[in-house]
Amino acid sequence: MRAEELKGHLDAVLLAALEGGPRHGYAVIEALRQSTDGRLDLPTGTIYPALRRLEQAGLIAGTWSVVGGRRRREYRLTPAGIRALSGRRAAWRDFSATVTAALENAALKNAALEDTACPSPNPA
Amino acid sequence: MPESEPRLIRGYLQVLAAQLPGPIVEELTDGLTETYRSYRTRGLPADAAAEAAVEEFGSAQEILAGFARVNPARQAARRLLGLGPVVGGCWVAALVTSRVWPGPEPARVVLGLVLVACIGLTFVAALGRRYRVAVYSGIAGCAGFAALDASLIVGTLLVAGRASGLTALAIAVSSARIALCARAAVAAQQNT
Repeated sequence: MRAEELKGHLDAVLLAALEGGPRHGYAVIEALRQSTDGRLDLPTGTIYPALRRLEQAGLIAGTWSVVGGRRRREYRLTPAGIRALSGRRAAWRDFSATVTAALENAALKNAALEDTACPSPNPA
Repeated sequence: MPESEPRLIRGYLQVLAAQLPGPIVEELTDGLTETYRSYRTRGLPADAAAEAAVEEFGSAQEILAGFARVNPARQAARRLLGLGPVVGGCWVAALVTSRVWPGPEPARVVLGLVLVACIGLTFVAALGRRYRVAVYSGIAGCAGFAALDASLIVGTLLVAGRASGLTALAIAVSSARIALCARAAVAAQQNT
């Protein structure tokens, strides 16, 4: 899945990646790859501006540490981020159940209409 | 990134460092180094690992555009541009109805020129794709608007002696803009 297909859901996905505990940018990408079995194919660099945006919105908080002589910024969910994630998860379940129902019911109706229009030949 | 690591990665980070503030570049350096090391761990030679890491990271232009969108100076400039007509409308209404003009004509011409300059700077910050340009023009625009508002408030109070009705409202919205400018300038300053 490409970044553009994720548009509108990137924030929720990033919040979910931080649910397990504090992570730095690269670890967030790795967590997303693992949780989606590698199906999420985001350019790594593009998640950093998104993390900044979430931090500015108060949904995550960043802290600096030094690892191997390099400064590293780690992010964790804030209480507001935990609430936002829970809200987005519920909204996604609702949305996905609605769209699935619409798509699958339409497919079932079409199949039923086809059966009525062309009944299968009677073997007798 | 240590000197021993590939020139491709150093060049890529230099492009980013020319545009972005130090802390952001440090964070990107850490991420790119981790990406590079993960390819090295998988057995790729240094140059191939660097190429793969840069490709995985995305183009420098893509990253710069992403940071330009979340630049606090750009967001503050957009709020200032939205607030501008409200503040301007309040002052025009207050000055026309009270017939009180703050200061002599030359001073009013200077205020007009400062206003035009501030609007220009704020547009540059609101639309600019270059991170640092947006930050510096945003800070200058904020400082200009704050000075303009303070001059209008002080000038009007000195000439009229008191503020009532629409003038009080204009002073209130100008004070709110001064507060917004101060907060925005501090936020932008932290991102230089």
